[in-house]
Amino acid sequence: MPQRPYAPGSVTSGVHLPESPLALYYHIPFCQIRCTYCAFNTYTRLESLIPGYAEALIRETRLVAGSARRPAVTIYFGGGTPSLIPPRLIAPLLDACAEVFDLAPDVEITLEANPGTTDRAYLQELRAIGVNRLSVGMQSAHARELHLFARGHGVDEVRETVTLARAAGFENISLDLIYGVPQQTLDMWQTSLETALDIGPDHLSMYSLGLEDGTPMQRWVERGHLPAPDSDLAADMYEWADERLARAGFEQYEISNWARPGLACRHNLHYWRSLPYLGLGAGAHGYAGGKRTVTVLHPAHYIERIQQQPAPLPYPASAATDTIEPIDARQAMVETMMMGLRLVQEGVALSTFRAWFGRDLWEVYGAELDRLIAFGLVELPTADQVRLTPRGRLLGNHVFAEFIQE
Amino acid sequence: MNQSNIRNFSIIAHIDHGKSTLADRLLQLTGTISEREMQEQVLDSMELERERGVTIKASAVRMEYTAHDGQTYEMNLIDTPGHVDFSYEVSRALQACEGAILVVDSTQGIEAQTLANLYVALEQDLEILAVVNKIDLPAARPDDIAQEIEDLLGLDAADVIQVSAKTGIHVEQVLEAVVQHIPPPKGDLDAPPRALIFDSHYDPYKGVIAYVRVAEGVFKPNTTLRLMASGAVLEPIELGIFSPNMKPVQSLAAGEVGYIATGLKTVRECRVGDTVTIAQSGAVEPLPGYKHAKPMVFAGFYPSDNDDYDDLRDALEKLQLNDAALVYEPETSQALNFGFRVGFLGLFHMDIVQERLEREYDLDILATAPSVEYQVVLRSGEVIEITSPADLPDPSTIDEIREPWMSIEIFAPEEFIGPIMELVTKKRGEYLSMEYLDQTRVLLKYKIPLAEMIIDFYDRLKSTTRGYASLDYHFDEYRTENLVRLDVLVNKLPVDALAMIVHEDEAFHKGQRLVSRLKRTIPRQLFEVPIQAAVGKHVISRANVKALRKDVLAKCYGGDITRKKKLLEKQKKGKKRLKMIGNVEVPQEAFMAVLRLDDDD
Repeated sequence: MPQRPYAPGSVTSGVHLPESPLALYYHIPFCQIRCTYCAFNTYTRLESLIPGYAEALIRETRLVAGSARRPAVTIYFGGGTPSLIPPRLIAPLLDACAEVFDLAPDVEITLEANPGTTDRAYLQELRAIGVNRLSVGMQSAHARELHLFARGHGVDEVRETVTLARAAGFENISLDLIYGVPQQTLDMWQTSLETALDIGPDHLSMYSLGLEDGTPMQRWVERGHLPAPDSDLAADMYEWADERLARAGFEQYEISNWARPGLACRHNLHYWRSLPYLGLGAGAHGYAGGKRTVTVLHPAHYIERIQQQPAPLPYPASAATDTIEPIDARQAMVETMMMGLRLVQEGVALSTFRAWFGRDLWEVYGAELDRLIAFGLVELPTADQVRLTPRGRLLGNHVFAEFIQE
Repeated sequence: MNQSNIRNFSIIAHIDHGKSTLADRLLQLTGTISEREMQEQVLDSMELERERGVTIKASAVRMEYTAHDGQTYEMNLIDTPGHVDFSYEVSRALQACEGAILVVDSTQGIEAQTLANLYVALEQDLEILAVVNKIDLPAARPDDIAQEIEDLLGLDAADVIQVSAKTGIHVEQVLEAVVQHIPPPKGDLDAPPRALIFDSHYDPYKGVIAYVRVAEGVFKPNTTLRLMASGAVLEPIELGIFSPNMKPVQSLAAGEVGYIATGLKTVRECRVGDTVTIAQSGAVEPLPGYKHAKPMVFAGFYPSDNDDYDDLRDALEKLQLNDAALVYEPETSQALNFGFRVGFLGLFHMDIVQERLEREYDLDILATAPSVEYQVVLRSGEVIEITSPADLPDPSTIDEIREPWMSIEIFAPEEFIGPIMELVTKKRGEYLSMEYLDQTRVLLKYKIPLAEMIIDFYDRLKSTTRGYASLDYHFDEYRTENLVRLDVLVNKLPVDALAMIVHEDEAFHKGQRLVSRLKRTIPRQLFEVPIQAAVGKHVISRANVKALRKDVLAKCYGGDITRKKKLLEKQKKGKKRLKMIGNVEVPQEAFMAVLRLDDDD
């Protein structure tokens, strides 16, 4: 009998969900400017809602958590632009978290920051209230690209933010970069990555530009104002970066993420390992108690619904939950593969799959895996592990699609 | 009704010259339909006909008209299709008439089908009434066009009626002219009844509805009838007329036009062109019938989703009930699995059938590039006919291949002579003659292989002449040509559905174009895919679809799972529509690449 990775959990339609500690995600849907590639749930000129919104987050946290005092290991403020929230509004939220969750002593608390929105005092306060990981949206070292993205900052502000953050005591700083940009050359990409390395992050996320529906970037390409991203060139950029980062001492742990040893983002690992997380705030998605939740999108609606909620609802819902959907075994298996294979080193453990679903991975996906192995997209580095090959990392959609039901 | 008060007539015209609008006005003027019932193009009952503004099938309607002489006349209007593909339907409909109204657009003048239809009418000794239409338009030149009619067709310009079917101006004069100039039908009322079936449609309750023109005698309900050619004996469900909807009557007498609801379930038993008589002591001699329309163009029709094969077969069967010119037989293709080889009168007919299958039967059809019927003379002396390039036997067994050639007539403004010459020459056409119709318009005559015409000839003619040219065509002869089969290999496997028969001189050029077009249509796969064009064992062109290197969602965090999963599901669903050639996924558009070989890239 293989060892279950976690203590025996509740049974939901054939799924033995791991009794894992939680990850907490807080969505901050405010931005000063909308980036031209961004399709996330975010709003400009609603900053006046921030104080009420921060209060609603505290209230939702308490309502969802109830009195169970579940263990939690990470907290993540994503956006939007979380650095638009003053630390004095974040502090009481973290206090509430500590009160209603059993927070791990080494809890990872990340906040996404836009260069130029944070000064020395901000970063010092932020560190002081317990935020210990900073994710900085650098995106590019080229003024022209930053302008194309409507980022509203230059590369100097990135360097300055990181310097100030280091001075404030942040020891875990991540930079985001975008490649595969229309008109970007390999040379330009190399300059961006070298500049990032020179700034000295502990973690790097590198995203190939995707043209999301409804974004200006997508419209420009569609209308021919910009050339479509060249996927072959993006592959060259990816391979070059992977090799360069290895030389710089970074380990790739996910399709788009690299970290210094031991500094992989624990919060995000939670997603890829299909472990439970709560999604709090407008437009946040959660996956806990075998159910996927989506919260109402608009921050004003969110605040209103939370303010009017009199008492806790069945976990993990709040009054702001817009949809709640039980994830059955079949869906959970698909998601386990789709998310787990993104972890390029650890992949999916056969023993975990068996523990969760009571079936052998080969029994469920044998034909699919055989095909993928034959195409050289998936490999079995150990008897308990399936994962992507280096080629499979670039062709992930072909791999994930195999597990999708028609 | 006294025979002398019956008038049977058709309206013939080039497409878009206003035939159906004139018919609508006649129906309204005679009170056959009320203002309230009036909808544009009443006679075009198919949704598709109305949308495309063309008549596809003939239809017949009875009107009552009280003329200026105080007498009431029974006016049977037989509407005819305007497209050249359906000219055989025109000739059938005209056999049921004593006269025809020739409509010419006063802004356009005489066009190819004006003339073609007129010749058919004259062959059948019909009395012709010329009408120029659309005189309400600012660009109308009614007097000039009337003169053109006199010059070209030999009808007196003074007799040409100038109307606007749209506004109704002078339309009553048309009815008067029909009464005065079109002769009444003749036919012995006391002879054993005989009627010619000139069209039919299928009604789920009443079976095949035969459209008939009674030549002699009187048909009564409740009489057992016999079809003289098929031998079918039937108890008619009802006799009736179209006014314009089906309306039962107690008799159909010599000279009249109406319908017999036969109750028969298949059109095979009730062919257009057959003669109806009574079962007991009926007529001995059938009426002169029609030649069965011969399909000229063939294409493979495959369901996009293989599971729909049975539905496609049922749909074709039902369409054939109303479209006797449609023929089909089962066919299999390695790439496309099970489907049908379907024969059509022309490309327009093919287009209509495909659209009806998709619209009325909700089927998704993959049509292969159309082909013509080749005659292949084998070394053994045997002659076989093939309608699919895949059926061409081993070249070493072939003595010669013959292909159908057409005679075509093009009417166009003279400024387009150059471009038309160039187009026809490019399509292997041969110049015959050129006549000036007036100072600015010419009639060009050519001969051209049908195989070249069915690819994109008509569209190109329209675009090179900015829509000013009109075209008529008919079969000329089979000619022996130096033809070879151009095979296409995808990842080294020959693809039967992409093979085409081409002239040897053009094999290289066409092979290159086809390969470069397929290279752009076939998406990149996980491995490199060579595409080759070959004649026999000789590869004449090759290109590679490079292997796909990168296709991965850059971001997938907690909030993205549902959306990204849906995205992948959608992609996977789309992939289901792809056809497999070996292990290469090929989109359905690739099978139409042959049609666009001459497009500018």
